[in-house]
Amino acid sequence: MQKAQANKKKVKSISYSRYGYYFIAPFFITFLIFQLYPIFFTFRTSLTDAVGWEKVLNNSIIGFENFRQLFDPSSLVYPKFWGAMGNTIIIWFFNFVPQLGLALILASWFTDAHLHLKAQGFFKVTIFLPNIITAATIGMLFMSLFSFPVAPINTFLQSSGIANLPTEFFRSVAWSRGLISFIQWWMWCGNTMIVMIAGISGINPSIFEAALVDGCTSRQTFWKITLPLIKPILVYNLTTSLVGGLTMFDIPHMMTQGNPNETTNTVARFIYMQGFTGSRNFNMASAASVVLFGIIIIGSLVIRYLLNEHDPKPAKAGKGGK
Amino acid sequence: MKKVLSLVLALALVLGCMSFASADDAKIKLVVWSFTNELQGMIEKYYLPDHPELDIQFEIYPTDGNAYTTKVDNLLATTPDSDEAPDIFTLEAAFVKHYVESDWTGDLKTVGFTDEELSTAFPVMAQIGQNAAGVQKGLSWQSTPGALMYRASLAEKYLGVTTPEEFQEKVADWDTFLETAEELKEASEGAAKMVTGSGDIWNAYQYQRSEPWVVDGKLVIDDELLDFEELCKTLEQDDLTQKGGAWTETWFAGMQGVNETLVYLLPTWGLHYTLKPNCAPGASGDLTEEELQKVSEENNGTYGDWRMVEGPTAYSWGGTWMGINAAKAEKADDAKKAAIHDLIYFFSLNEDWLLTYAHDSGDFVGSATAVEKYLAEGEHPNPFLGGQDHYAIFAKGAALANGSLMSEYDDTINSLFSDYVTTPYTKGEKDLDTAIDEFKAAVAAQITTITVE
Repeated sequence: MQKAQANKKKVKSISYSRYGYYFIAPFFITFLIFQLYPIFFTFRTSLTDAVGWEKVLNNSIIGFENFRQLFDPSSLVYPKFWGAMGNTIIIWFFNFVPQLGLALILASWFTDAHLHLKAQGFFKVTIFLPNIITAATIGMLFMSLFSFPVAPINTFLQSSGIANLPTEFFRSVAWSRGLISFIQWWMWCGNTMIVMIAGISGINPSIFEAALVDGCTSRQTFWKITLPLIKPILVYNLTTSLVGGLTMFDIPHMMTQGNPNETTNTVARFIYMQGFTGSRNFNMASAASVVLFGIIIIGSLVIRYLLNEHDPKPAKAGKGGK
Repeated sequence: MKKVLSLVLALALVLGCMSFASADDAKIKLVVWSFTNELQGMIEKYYLPDHPELDIQFEIYPTDGNAYTTKVDNLLATTPDSDEAPDIFTLEAAFVKHYVESDWTGDLKTVGFTDEELSTAFPVMAQIGQNAAGVQKGLSWQSTPGALMYRASLAEKYLGVTTPEEFQEKVADWDTFLETAEELKEASEGAAKMVTGSGDIWNAYQYQRSEPWVVDGKLVIDDELLDFEELCKTLEQDDLTQKGGAWTETWFAGMQGVNETLVYLLPTWGLHYTLKPNCAPGASGDLTEEELQKVSEENNGTYGDWRMVEGPTAYSWGGTWMGINAAKAEKADDAKKAAIHDLIYFFSLNEDWLLTYAHDSGDFVGSATAVEKYLAEGEHPNPFLGGQDHYAIFAKGAALANGSLMSEYDDTINSLFSDYVTTPYTKGEKDLDTAIDEFKAAVAAQITTITVE
């Protein structure tokens, strides 16, 4: 009894916040060593002449030459880098638009009290399932499904009479890009949907009840209540999708190797090819990474601005105008 | 109680380590790095039992995603003489030139190799293990010459050819190769194809060149490569191939006998580890010789239907070299230098052992004199090849292949050449000049240390 009391006294004098720091310390130490330091190292390397492993530690700073090359239309890397940027944005766009759209529709159906869908768990799991498999595995899977001339898809098309001759999917720009977009979409739709469901579930149910009492249709509820209230979640989804989309690497690398004619070469793949093949141009790879970093930051800020700060004011003004 | 126990255990652990360390002090410590366990297995089986003085630490990193080279590059660029750095490390064909051209790998003579010893290696393998100045930096236990495998039943049915000698005349050079392909198409009315795809012949055809990709820091596009493009285009446009790539379903289907493909160009390892385990639907590398034969009979496979000839070009494909870490070799004392020399010598040039290994594994070994001895023993009929002796044919290729055609950036340049020139040109997507210009631009962007004109 006495012991317990003594303990209590002791406990009172202890500041718990200290333990909080202890618990997050391992993350921050790891982060500093394995993330923050490499990021600074990348910034530094982008200003050097570090070509080849011999020069990784033993290089000299040459200023913004690498950046000049990336922005100078007459240089060799210019068309490759910006071409890759274009490919990345096209592939990301066709992945992201259907992904967000479908995830939104599914999320609103699953949370709709009117519909009260049965076997929700089953559907959610099924839709989420592709996300569990590694991207590289899926890349290999689709590569063998769609390969030429003998592969499951071609065999199916021929035996069912849809096509007479096998199609060489990976020599077609539309098919190659389309398949990559589709895989990304198919893999991440479930994840986005779960996050959306979480966001919608976080809305106070009494708002929906009030809407119901006021005679709102499902469509009105969705556009006027659900969508505005999950804006923070939309910003999160858009931003993560932007980061993920612009740094896309594994599926194009595994499935198409940038072919045909560089039309599926993404920025991350350009960086990889510069840094880890040929003469190991770490400087150029770092410079391209820094540019990509800048573009992602600008993109994220634009998303934030468009959805968060900007919207409420005109909405109010609009109402007043009416 | 628990505290005491844990203390005792911790103490035991420390003491245990210490006693180990003191026992090992007398031993010569070697660090060996590789990308497969092949060398480790060989050393443990054939070498360590007779060399108790050695304490060898093995490290294995896969080549997937460049894991091995990244690890080696990183360490050798930063702390090449640290304890964890390798004394001996293995080099694969894809990157051997990169290392022998660098200062990281040491001249084998620094650990005591003599010219006399080095002269018994197959020239092609020795040449690949040398840098541009001719300094020998890598040696291999195997040699990986290539040959041409064809299906005897198809050759007889469509071309009326019954012996390998006759068939060799049909593929004596690349012009007759193409003629034979056309003849096959006509005779089989398009049912049988000469090869799986035009990419299948690249590994052999590149040995047709007289210069490597890079000479004196400049990109060289050999005239033979233009002929290669024309050959591939004709093969593709005249419908003489199965239109598939290497390592695809179509490629394996031809080996299994599912489609009628007459020719495969494969090296030593390709015969044993690729063609043979895929000789029938349902066959695999886990099956014994008898089981393979049985599976092949049951499933209309191709076991025993293959024959081998030299083909149009003597070539080599693949291989593994052993190199030494220059920084550590320089600092090593005489005993350690001798230990490194003895180990590499044993596995690359020791005739007695290579002969034993040839019998044990069927692998084609790296020393010309050992192969001569093996051949002098008489015929070694291979039932997979209908009783042909594959060693004799590989020996011809090994003696003739030109090892000076490899250069540091082959891996990158070969894949760029295929992506930018061969594939689009043979499929009729681009004309040759545009394709070659784009190829040059791609090489220049990726390899900034060479000049592209």
